[in-house]
Amino acid sequence: MARKSKTTPPASAPLVLPAELTIYTVGELQPQWLSWLGAMPVGGIAQAPVQAAAVDQIDAAGLQLLLSLGHALEALGVRLQLAAASPVLREGCAALGLTDWLLQHSAAAAAPQGAGT
Amino acid sequence: MTPGSAENDRSFIDEALPVFISEAQEQTAALEQLLLELEDRPDDSELLNALFRCAHTVKGSAGIFGLDRVVAFTHHVETLLDQLREGRLALTPALSTLLLRCNDQIRQLIAQARDHADDEDPAKMAERTALVEQLQQAAGVAGQATLVPADPAHAAAAAAASGMARTWEVWVAFGAETFRNGMDPLTILSYVRGLGEMAHLVCDSAAVPPLDRLDPERCHLAFEFGLQTQATRAEIESAFSFVREDCVLHVLEPGATTNDFAALIEAMPDNPRLGDILVAAGVITRTQLQQGLRAQSGALAEGLPAPLGEVLQSTAGVSPLVVSAALKKQQKQRDGGPGPAGANASAADEGRFIRVQADRLDDVINLLGELVIAGAGAALLARQTRQGTLIEANAEIGRLIEEIRNGTLQLRMVPIGETFSRFRRVVRDTAGELGKDVQLEIVGGETELDKSVVERIADPLMHLVRNALDHGMEPPEERQAAGKPAQGRLTLSACHESGSILIRIDDDGRGIQRQRVLDRAWERGLVEPGVVPDDEAILRLIFTPGFSTAEKVTNLSGRGVGMDVVKRNIEALRGTVTLYSEPGAGSRIEIRLPLTLAIIDGFLIGVGRSKFILPLDAVVEVIETGPTISPLDAAGRGVVELRGQVLPVVSLRNLYALDCTAPERSSVVVLRAGNRRYGVLVDQLLGQHQTVIKPLARMFRSLRGMSGSSILGNGEVALIFDVNSLCQLAAEPQALLSRALTTSTEGQTS
Repeated sequence: MARKSKTTPPASAPLVLPAELTIYTVGELQPQWLSWLGAMPVGGIAQAPVQAAAVDQIDAAGLQLLLSLGHALEALGVRLQLAAASPVLREGCAALGLTDWLLQHSAAAAAPQGAGT
Repeated sequence: MTPGSAENDRSFIDEALPVFISEAQEQTAALEQLLLELEDRPDDSELLNALFRCAHTVKGSAGIFGLDRVVAFTHHVETLLDQLREGRLALTPALSTLLLRCNDQIRQLIAQARDHADDEDPAKMAERTALVEQLQQAAGVAGQATLVPADPAHAAAAAAASGMARTWEVWVAFGAETFRNGMDPLTILSYVRGLGEMAHLVCDSAAVPPLDRLDPERCHLAFEFGLQTQATRAEIESAFSFVREDCVLHVLEPGATTNDFAALIEAMPDNPRLGDILVAAGVITRTQLQQGLRAQSGALAEGLPAPLGEVLQSTAGVSPLVVSAALKKQQKQRDGGPGPAGANASAADEGRFIRVQADRLDDVINLLGELVIAGAGAALLARQTRQGTLIEANAEIGRLIEEIRNGTLQLRMVPIGETFSRFRRVVRDTAGELGKDVQLEIVGGETELDKSVVERIADPLMHLVRNALDHGMEPPEERQAAGKPAQGRLTLSACHESGSILIRIDDDGRGIQRQRVLDRAWERGLVEPGVVPDDEAILRLIFTPGFSTAEKVTNLSGRGVGMDVVKRNIEALRGTVTLYSEPGAGSRIEIRLPLTLAIIDGFLIGVGRSKFILPLDAVVEVIETGPTISPLDAAGRGVVELRGQVLPVVSLRNLYALDCTAPERSSVVVLRAGNRRYGVLVDQLLGQHQTVIKPLARMFRSLRGMSGSSILGNGEVALIFDVNSLCQLAAEPQALLSRALTTSTEGQTS
């Protein structure tokens, strides 16, 4: 299985979702995302941008991890904001009844198709 | 209540109703606060949302209890609030007044529900109808069938409920091991899609923990979907065959009635969100859901087989589950809603509070009182045995009891702010009625005191606030003429002061005109005509029974039953009330109350064979008397020199005519009462004593200077002094004092 997950992003940089967001990657993504959460400036921002253009493989475990990130951010008073959600991510959300959730967590500018950022 | 509801059902409802009532009261209180806050910040969308949530919660939970009147009326309020929330309407002062009146109406309806008043006064009904009309007018929906919720899901819901569409409703919660077993809910749902058309699909992600607590390989997902298909139940279920072992699956036949959904919700009390999800999915409307829940409990109570779906096996004892599910849901909404003080409970607060019935706490405190007394008894016996280890063990127990006492009493402490903020509305309405413009300021709302004190101080405070508005505050013109700002200022403040709480009501009104008070007192024979008492005494006359200076009797105050009752109520709480006033500049009323009515730290003293207790908080120091004490007067009062200053002292032996001879040596206990100090002459100092306060027996009620009694470890009774009234007693002029003491003696004998 291809592992394209990236290294820990620098503090306050947007989180970039990997190409593969599945049961095979959630285990290693979780600590990375947690350290990204930890590096977030406290109380400074209302929205946490997450680049979602690269996602090309997804399953329920991957989406659950994303939901969980959303909950963690919410607890910090921050809204998860997915930018440029890839078609795969959108389809995955639709298949799991998360279309509304995706809409609520999309950056307005990212509504049209946008593979690049 | 549905007609089918039998005894059984009623008893469930009866059990849960008080919880609903108390929560609904909180919600209406929050509604009022929010409305008042909104007047200052009419565009605050968070306030508007919170407002809507409150109304929605009241309506929702009232529906569960079948309180149709509350539901129907609150629905109209909710409609209007929704329009406000969406910015289609702006909050005008008139609208605000209307909503406040509606909130009162909701309160009344809830009170009716509490009293089980099923019959209603036609006048009240007419009043409500009028309010509804105004609401509709304001919302611009007059003539519409307003009971039909305006959500787009309604059409689908109606179709589903009437059974026209062949739509199966499926609820599935995947087991924790789903992912590890190599299964993917996404694939399974895609497969299900192949069976027909998925009408709606909602993912319940509420069970997904936040990232730091998530085991990413465990599945926490659940789904609700409608499936339009020709497939059979077996075919639908087979889609889940690979995960059937550890998932929770409920499949409802097409044409399922709201009752079936209700049954489904009941079958899953752990998931109070299901009802919301069904509503959000447009499967049913909230009204239908509530009706269903109601009908369901009714049917069960009658012993009929409930029309449950095939996979639902749970039938017995369902009603308590509905209730618990409903209450849980309510709890959840409430936790997310605004606090009574208007503060939003943060996510971190969730789960930090538990709700305990006040009387359970009271029972514990009563028991604790007994424990303290028994502990003191045991310690006494231990001392008599003169066994060091036993005494030590008892001392340790005593220390622990004291800690438990402090901890337990702390549980009953509530901030006074809630009571204070009720006055916003009172001030707003009363000032409006009187044509005055008054700004209420609240300071120290976080000051805590015993819940039982808070409850009993609300009424006296209300009276004092109204009095200040009615008598103290001038109309705007008069204020401007006097060179004051047109808007009056009323301040309610609270703070702790040496073991008691000090509540102040300040106004910047016209103050008390002493001459008018005096004239009235002469006229009423309260003071010998022509006699002019000192300033303080004049102000105290206001608290005399039968005194009223209002030139016209308004419906707010001025019936002359006010201030003396206020004073009596405050004194019943072992408190004192004092009035200060500066003519032209305003008045200040100070209420001092003990923090608790149950147990205090006392200082035990002896005079002759009698034992007394002084509140330890009030004791400043203890001195041995020397030759510096001046001769005492007939009431046992004199002065003593303390570090170059004169300190008034009072001898308890003389004051209360205790029948015993004075010992050679005596001590003076220096007490603090407000900002004064005075000494009490006593024979023996017996040290600190945990004092369980018992009310005074009827025959001692008239005794001045006492606030209660307590039982000592050896079974003796000790009277507890009230330092404030003792101080007044010590300071009163001779003539008045002897009169006061004779009346109290007469009171005892009569």
